[in-house]
Amino acid sequence: MSKKSYAVLGLFETPDALMHAIPKLRAAKLGTVEAYTPYPIHGIDEALGLRRSPLGGMVLVMGVLGALTAFGFQYWISAIDYPIITGGKSAASWEAFIPIMFEVTVLFATFTAGLGMLLLLNRLPFFGHPVLSSKAMKGITRDRYALALEAESEAFDSAAAAQALEAAGAADIEVLPAPDRSPFLTSDYILRTLGGIFVACLVAGLGIYSLIKWFPLLAPMKYMQDQPRLNAQKASTFFKDGHGMQPPVPGTVARGYLPTATGTQEAAATLVNPLPRNKDVFAQGRKVYTSRCEVCHGALANGAGSLTAAYGAKPANLQAQQFRDYPDGKIYWAVVNGKNAMPGHAAYLTEPQRWAVVHYVRALQRAQNATDEDLKVVAP
Amino acid sequence: MSQPKPTPPLLLGAVALGAAGVLGTYFAAGPERFWANWVLWFVLMFTLGLGSLFIVALEHLVSAKWSVPVRRIPERLATLLLPAIPVGLIALGAVPVLYPGARPEAAHHPILAGKAFWLSLPFFTVRTVAAFVLCVIALAILVGGSLKQDVSRDPAFNFRARKFAPAFMAIFALVITLVAFDWISGLTPEWYSDIFGVYIFAGAFLSGLAATAISLLYLQGEGRLEGVRQDHLYNLGAFLFAFTVFWSYIGFAQYMLMWYANMPDEVIYYKVRLTGAWRAITFALAALHFILPFFALVTRDAKRDPKRLRRVALLMLGAHVLDIYWLIFPALGGSPRFAWPELSFALFFLGGILLWIRGAMQKGEDMPVGDPFLREGLEFRL
Repeated sequence: MSKKSYAVLGLFETPDALMHAIPKLRAAKLGTVEAYTPYPIHGIDEALGLRRSPLGGMVLVMGVLGALTAFGFQYWISAIDYPIITGGKSAASWEAFIPIMFEVTVLFATFTAGLGMLLLLNRLPFFGHPVLSSKAMKGITRDRYALALEAESEAFDSAAAAQALEAAGAADIEVLPAPDRSPFLTSDYILRTLGGIFVACLVAGLGIYSLIKWFPLLAPMKYMQDQPRLNAQKASTFFKDGHGMQPPVPGTVARGYLPTATGTQEAAATLVNPLPRNKDVFAQGRKVYTSRCEVCHGALANGAGSLTAAYGAKPANLQAQQFRDYPDGKIYWAVVNGKNAMPGHAAYLTEPQRWAVVHYVRALQRAQNATDEDLKVVAP
Repeated sequence: MSQPKPTPPLLLGAVALGAAGVLGTYFAAGPERFWANWVLWFVLMFTLGLGSLFIVALEHLVSAKWSVPVRRIPERLATLLLPAIPVGLIALGAVPVLYPGARPEAAHHPILAGKAFWLSLPFFTVRTVAAFVLCVIALAILVGGSLKQDVSRDPAFNFRARKFAPAFMAIFALVITLVAFDWISGLTPEWYSDIFGVYIFAGAFLSGLAATAISLLYLQGEGRLEGVRQDHLYNLGAFLFAFTVFWSYIGFAQYMLMWYANMPDEVIYYKVRLTGAWRAITFALAALHFILPFFALVTRDAKRDPKRLRRVALLMLGAHVLDIYWLIFPALGGSPRFAWPELSFALFFLGGILLWIRGAMQKGEDMPVGDPFLREGLEFRL
């Protein structure tokens, strides 16, 4: 035979005949013995001398890996990267991780079993296995049991193989020619597949890009935009005054903001600053002072702020003896309620911010009137 | 059929010694300890018998053929329900001692007072007796009918059993839930868990499977049960493997929901079991009931290896004992107790159970020889 052959194939009438023939053909050592049957036959694995499938081990390893991945990922999210206490549980609660670990274990294991079986072990996809185009194929998928002696090397003798099959009781013996190219996945096929995916992505991407470019006002989903709600800057027929935006109900207090201190400034004199004098408090006080007070009262609290000239107002010079003698409570009262032309700052300063700025004003006053005592370095 | 062998004197001695210890417990260690042990062993006997009967009924329900050759073993194990009846009737003595719902103080308890009718001794007794009656009926139909078929060879039994099997499943669900709710979670009547019955079912089924596997291998060691192959063993092993996972699934699901919700009346159950020495027992239970058998049985060869399977089945039975102990004994309060009273009870009841099973295994045929599917079952290959 001039052309190389892939295998020699013979048909048997019953599974028993097939099983009896297997040891004879294996003993002949003419090629790899392979069986093609319409359904699984008990004991054929042992008879053919198939080694155990490595799939079980792969699934175990990937399953364990899945469990570890899920645990590690959840631990990292909930205990390291963004720890939030929910339900009074510790951030790293393994109990809460278990369901996800279970799911990911199953996910990894099933994908390994399915894809590993199809792609790794059965080497799918393949194109035109020689047995598929044999005459025997119709019988194999119906009621015949085939044995094939597959060529192991160049030295495969198809005539001897056919003889051995016949001696073992096979009928309809057929020599399958070797395919022109390997039916299994080669780098050539992989390249073509990847190329196809690349082209598909390119077409889809360009298509979507040009769609958006040519129809820019085609909003994909407008439910949230079109909902019947009140817009802050729009007219509305819902309220009597025709405005969408309504002022808060009188007496509304935002969370964390205490209402304006009531009573006279004299009554507030007894209030004590609850904050300690430390770096953080002074830093906060300084931030509030520079953003709220400095434009009028000036960086040195001497009443020479940058706005003074523009408006012709005369803000208080906080370095004056009168204000240096003020108790903390009276400054606090002025911050909250305002005084003369100065507006009250209660609406946008929280309680700690109000007291922090009092500390900072005190520090500015002392800095401008420092004594020798103040220059001594205090033990750090 | 083999010659009936004389009862080993060692076993009889163990039972006698255990009986002395059991009596001693009542007087020396107090009635509470006595009744806790008694209830423990009643529940173990009952769940083993019921789990075995479930295996038999499951075969009829799904018309399984592979298990026909080994069916006589769970049938014989299921007869353990008969000695469990007097044990259970005696155990009713524990109700006024151990079960808070049946004690006089319950009348003043805001929760228990509303459930007084259900938890009281008279209705407790009625439920227990009703469960026993249902079990005896099921036993007579499934096991008694199968034994009769040995002689009559009448295939009508298979149809009868198949028709009865769905009804048995309902009976089984009812009885196992009663055992779980009354005898075990009745010890802590303020604690609720809907899935508790399923948890006890998983343990009962596992103990039945493990006892079946051990008995099968023991009988094969004596040269009996010829024709039962590795393939049958493999199926038993696969069942064991699957249901260790099922047990842990149910056990963990119950724990996780209570842990998440963190409601005081629910979480106290686990608080008790995760404090002090009970904590070690809880973790030991997880290791012995799930982790160890899971990895011991995970490979295909492990499920077919008689030696490995026997060891794992013994481990599962031990873990089931530990499981029920872990459920019942915290009700006594304090740290886990294990001393001579527990040992005597184990000697007495284990010896008694072994004697009963030995006796059952020596009577009649080893396989249901009248079953028309026996041949098909013997030809079963994986």
